Amino acid sequence: MSLLGLDTSTAAVAACVLRDDGEAFEFSPEPVALRRRPAHATELMPAVVGVMERSGVAWRELDAIAVGVGPGSFTGLRIGLATARALAVANGLRLRPVSSLGALAQGIDPSGTAVALPVIDAKRGEVFAAAYEGERVLWAPFAARPKGLAERVRKAGLAPLAAGDGSIRFRGVLEAAGIRIPPDESGAHVVRALHVCRLAATAPGEPPEAVLPEYLRAPDAQPR
Amino acid sequence: MAYGPGTRDGVILAVETSCDDTCAAVVTAGGEIRSNVIASQGLLHSRYGGVVPEIASRHHLELVDAVTADALEAAGTGLEEIDTVAVTRGPGLIGALLVGLSSAKALAAVRRLPLVPVDHLHGHVVASTLGPEPIEPPYLALVASGGHTFLARVDVPESYTVVGQTLDDAAGEAFDKGARLLGLGYPGGPAIDRLAEKGDPEVFDFPRSAPGELDFSFSGLKTALLYAIRDLGEGEADRRRPDLAASYQRAIVDALVSRTRAALEREGLRRLAIGGGVAANSELRAAVQALGVPVWVPPLELCTDNAAMIGGAARFLRPLPYPDYLSLDAAARIS
Repeated sequence: MSLLGLDTSTAAVAACVLRDDGEAFEFSPEPVALRRRPAHATELMPAVVGVMERSGVAWRELDAIAVGVGPGSFTGLRIGLATARALAVANGLRLRPVSSLGALAQGIDPSGTAVALPVIDAKRGEVFAAAYEGERVLWAPFAARPKGLAERVRKAGLAPLAAGDGSIRFRGVLEAAGIRIPPDESGAHVVRALHVCRLAATAPGEPPEAVLPEYLRAPDAQPR
Repeated sequence: MAYGPGTRDGVILAVETSCDDTCAAVVTAGGEIRSNVIASQGLLHSRYGGVVPEIASRHHLELVDAVTADALEAAGTGLEEIDTVAVTRGPGLIGALLVGLSSAKALAAVRRLPLVPVDHLHGHVVASTLGPEPIEPPYLALVASGGHTFLARVDVPESYTVVGQTLDDAAGEAFDKGARLLGLGYPGGPAIDRLAEKGDPEVFDFPRSAPGELDFSFSGLKTALLYAIRDLGEGEADRRRPDLAASYQRAIVDALVSRTRAALEREGLRRLAIGGGVAANSELRAAVQALGVPVWVPPLELCTDNAAMIGGAARFLRPLPYPDYLSLDAAARIS
């Protein structure tokens, strides 16, 4: 089975073709891209077409398209999902939604022995986080203040391994709670589309128009 | 009729998500509208008294694929029969624009179709070139909506020259703000239009600001309405609401029509097209008929935001070949 995967939950853009022979053709951003001004609209389609061309897989040969549905940047997610949905529609394919935190967790601890704590910057002083022990979801994705996340980790008596742009931004608060975070330049901080593809390999496909972002936060506006 | 570099045989799929309406349409190069689907979020935003960008963007994503599928189905066609994809690139709400742009780019890229990025305002300007009796340049276009109010000279349909514009609020915005002061719902235009039918437009003398030669200004008008309501007192203002609405509407329409008359004279133009949501206003529609020139007033679904007009404008523009548009970005403002 050949899969195209993409993720736009952070400021970085990621795309990958996992070919049916197991070979991966990946556009994986540098960690520095997490701190740049987001440019999903200009970067995503060139990245997608780039990995498709490198893989030699034609659109009609794809079996499914996988997409990171967040949580993360609202605008980034909408660009990623609008793109993935239209690609699926145009190719008559199902879409496989994958948690962006789940994909980030895949790169934190390849040995799977530590608790993985993926942390994505949610802006406005908050983070999106989740906790995984191997394949098991300890904490489903949630939004929290960094101090609240640190407190939750402390109370649970965990010493997790964290990564993600949120863990870089709030390193001080999180490390004080015993959370271990790799250096800023570590590749573990980016959401890789290869991991989106791997998680999607067993995920059920959905009609493209039914796949929506996992926002985890309501719009700010109040009814009058 | 043959214009410009964009004219070619073919079928255009157009997508428009610049504000709060999710729109898709199928238009032919000859100007036939095969379908024009509009999913309005108006009622949703009425609870907030205006368009909330984040809510609009979320709903665009929910609706865009279904609206596109509806447009193809209503046109009796499928993606495989589309020759060109057109999409609004701006101006508008950036998060909203990006949903339509991302979708359109992906749809086009899979089949390596050309893509035409369209200026939303160009769509309004050339809306009357669609349909069985298209307007032919040269003409003057009056575009008045919730986000824009301007007069444009059109000599060739692939471009337009703005000759006058609002310096502050758009005419539709003036309707919305007036409606709010009168305790009416959003969008304000239709609500004021309905209430004005029962009122006397001569009772209150609201200002007709006339800045520059052909420009508009509506911000002082809502202040005048605010003062009038305050001076009347709550009970009396409530009783006089139809008169207030009629007089307020008359002031907006007078400003639009007098500038349009002046622009026709100064530019030496003999044809007029009106567009934008405010072109749905019944008093404006009647008033422009008295200008002494032939007037093209598109049906309502071509006045408010729609994708048919985006496809209509795309007919006159040079498409970007694949893969030149892959890195195309939306633009909240277009200079």
